[in-house]
Amino acid sequence: MELQLGLALPNHNNPSAGNGVGFKSRKDAANKRSFQEAFGNYKIRDELQMMPLLLWSGPPDEEDDDRKGQKKRNSCNNINKNEEEGEELVVGWPPIQSWRKKSLLHGQHPQQGQVGRRVSKFVKVKMEGVGIARKINLSLYNSFETLANSLIHMFATYQKSEKRGVRYTLTYQDKEGDWLIAGDVPWQTFIESVQRLEILRCGAVESRP
Amino acid sequence: MESESKRKKESPNTAELAVTASFPDEVLEIVLSLLTSHRDRSSVSLVCKDWYRAERWSRTQVFIGNCYSVSPEILTRRFPNIRSVTLKGKPRFSDFNLVPPNWGADIHAWLVAFAAKYPFLEELRLKRMAVSDESLEFLASNFPNFKLLSLLSCDGFSTDGLAAIATHCKNLTELDIQENGIEDSSGSWLSCFPESFTSLEVLNFANLTSEVNTDALERLVSRCKSLKVLKVNKSISLEQLQRLLVRAPQLEELGTGSFLQDLTARPYADLESAFNNCKNIHTLSGLWEAVPLYLPALYNSCANLTFLNLSYTALQSGEFAKLVVHCPRLRRLWVLDTVEDKGLEAVGSNCPLLEELRVFPADPFDEEIIHGVTEEGFVAVSFGCRRLHYVLYFCRQMTNAAVATIVQNCPNFTHFRLCIMTPGLPDYLTNEPMDEAFGAVVKTCSKLQRLSVSGLLTDLTFEYIGKYAKNLETLSVAFAGRSDRGMQCVLEGCPKLRKLEIRDCPFGNEALLSGLEKYESMRSLWMSACNVTMNACRRLAKQMPRLNVEVMKEDGSDDSQADKVYIYRTVAGPRRDAPPSVLTL
Repeated sequence: MELQLGLALPNHNNPSAGNGVGFKSRKDAANKRSFQEAFGNYKIRDELQMMPLLLWSGPPDEEDDDRKGQKKRNSCNNINKNEEEGEELVVGWPPIQSWRKKSLLHGQHPQQGQVGRRVSKFVKVKMEGVGIARKINLSLYNSFETLANSLIHMFATYQKSEKRGVRYTLTYQDKEGDWLIAGDVPWQTFIESVQRLEILRCGAVESRP
Repeated sequence: MESESKRKKESPNTAELAVTASFPDEVLEIVLSLLTSHRDRSSVSLVCKDWYRAERWSRTQVFIGNCYSVSPEILTRRFPNIRSVTLKGKPRFSDFNLVPPNWGADIHAWLVAFAAKYPFLEELRLKRMAVSDESLEFLASNFPNFKLLSLLSCDGFSTDGLAAIATHCKNLTELDIQENGIEDSSGSWLSCFPESFTSLEVLNFANLTSEVNTDALERLVSRCKSLKVLKVNKSISLEQLQRLLVRAPQLEELGTGSFLQDLTARPYADLESAFNNCKNIHTLSGLWEAVPLYLPALYNSCANLTFLNLSYTALQSGEFAKLVVHCPRLRRLWVLDTVEDKGLEAVGSNCPLLEELRVFPADPFDEEIIHGVTEEGFVAVSFGCRRLHYVLYFCRQMTNAAVATIVQNCPNFTHFRLCIMTPGLPDYLTNEPMDEAFGAVVKTCSKLQRLSVSGLLTDLTFEYIGKYAKNLETLSVAFAGRSDRGMQCVLEGCPKLRKLEIRDCPFGNEALLSGLEKYESMRSLWMSACNVTMNACRRLAKQMPRLNVEVMKEDGSDDSQADKVYIYRTVAGPRRDAPPSVLTL
């Protein structure tokens, strides 16, 4: 199943939406897409600033502490469930000491007889317009969905000052040095060839060499 | 000890004068030397000048909860005869990477002062301090009577430093290297203990990773006849463990190495017999990668176990339940949440004497796989273990009703640390905040000293805490509260509050400044990712000269916001060793 990958906020006006991310899966053949198709009608929503989840990754908004009631929180929690896979998205949470975390990562996974060891694959992630790059461990993810969720969360703070309606595309540089749109190839292929990631604003994609 | 002349007191009551004059300092010192509790000693020193003097001469152990609250000079001046020092450094949230790396808490200046003033120092226990190899070498070379080194959550040293300790500390009885950020380059440090060295009673290197020379270890264990505590690391196999056990049947605390090895029948029988032969083991830990197949070798040893630490091994509920049936005397249990609610039910059924339970998450960052423990496991334990008073519980869901039941069953909680891992999660059945849960805890558990809250919490939780938690000393808060009022309730209401650590809460300047006088009666306050501004911190610093107000700035954040604030009382003034990212206001 081909996945379209965009970067957008979870649609929490409709908390019953199956996935929190807001991307569609398409059954198209693996032909090239224009970047318009690549990420559809997704916008950064107003509520981004108000979502307590995203406030946690940076200094909270001073103006509005009102948590906007229970409903938003519930949908936050659904979203949270999808996003936090493998990587600690909020620094120091849950409060587990670093040496304990290390021992868990190197420890045995409760699978039959296997001693699961994750081979880390760290890649740099840059977001256009943001000075600070991040590094993530791709081996902790198993799909574009979880990766996108994580990236949304990670870079949400930098989107505060953006105008409404900005769209983003996730691109990556492969082993040959070419820049491609993430989501075009199966996850396994992607993992093997990805060298670094970059989140571009719409319009920027076309100008890449 | 010089004897000091008695001073006549100006007292209208001549009978009283007669009594104090006839009570020689030497006797007073002997009496006071029997006091071991730090708090008792503090109280004693406040009675009068004579008692202050006698107390300071007779004190041999000192506990410093915040290394920056006092300086080495002040300490050594007041207490001339210290043999044992316990020092804690960085704020607790440094364990979770919330403190910049070169923040401070370096032991070296202390060691230099001790070398001059306490050359007969015997014991050093450090927690969250920065310790370099150079410091360890200095320690090893300057204190001929040195006996005990315990390092917990420290960082900055490597196995080279340990080699220096092993080589030079001829009187060492205890080397306890608990979980630290240590650079483990090689296991050769263990071979540095001289062949003539026999005094070791405690050896804990469980959290190091390099292989040690097993022959050297065996010889060491053989010749140290007083060895009571041995905790080896993962590199030690089951067969090697068996050889060690055979040489140390007197062991009381054992940390095994890897429990994963292909043992044929004979070695397994030997292992079992070695365990059976150690009749004094009351504490068991390690058991890395424990394969259920070999756990029965432990069953007989488990009969006398009071503390079982399985937090490094992912046991499933069935195999854990089988093990726990053999542990009727258990008082302390640490496990991973892979044992699930069923495993905890087995605990409830088999361990009536249980006082402490810690359940750690095996996959803390993985939300997609549904596993771990829920409120049911906790409730089950509370029904079976009425003496439970210390709990650390990581879970993914909880209800107010469950917590109410738990504290009804176990009203004697002194430490209640509940971590619902998704921030801001409500009661999953009623969708309400978890206020009533913690309300029940503080209303019912009058002896509560330490509380960590989590889940969706409004200011009501803090109203409850302020109103009822009269013995509370340590409070940890994250992703909770609605307004300044929450924090204010706590500051106004908890008379014994010593440590308050807050992160990601909507508490701001008003809350911060409402605690002005309170902070001098506390050890420290930590606030990060809240709504506190630099100006408020400056005001606080200005009004309270006996507090150090430190702000840690993050890259790229707003200049007017105080991202991380650490405030503590001190007699040593502002510290001079802060890195550039830490501003002392």
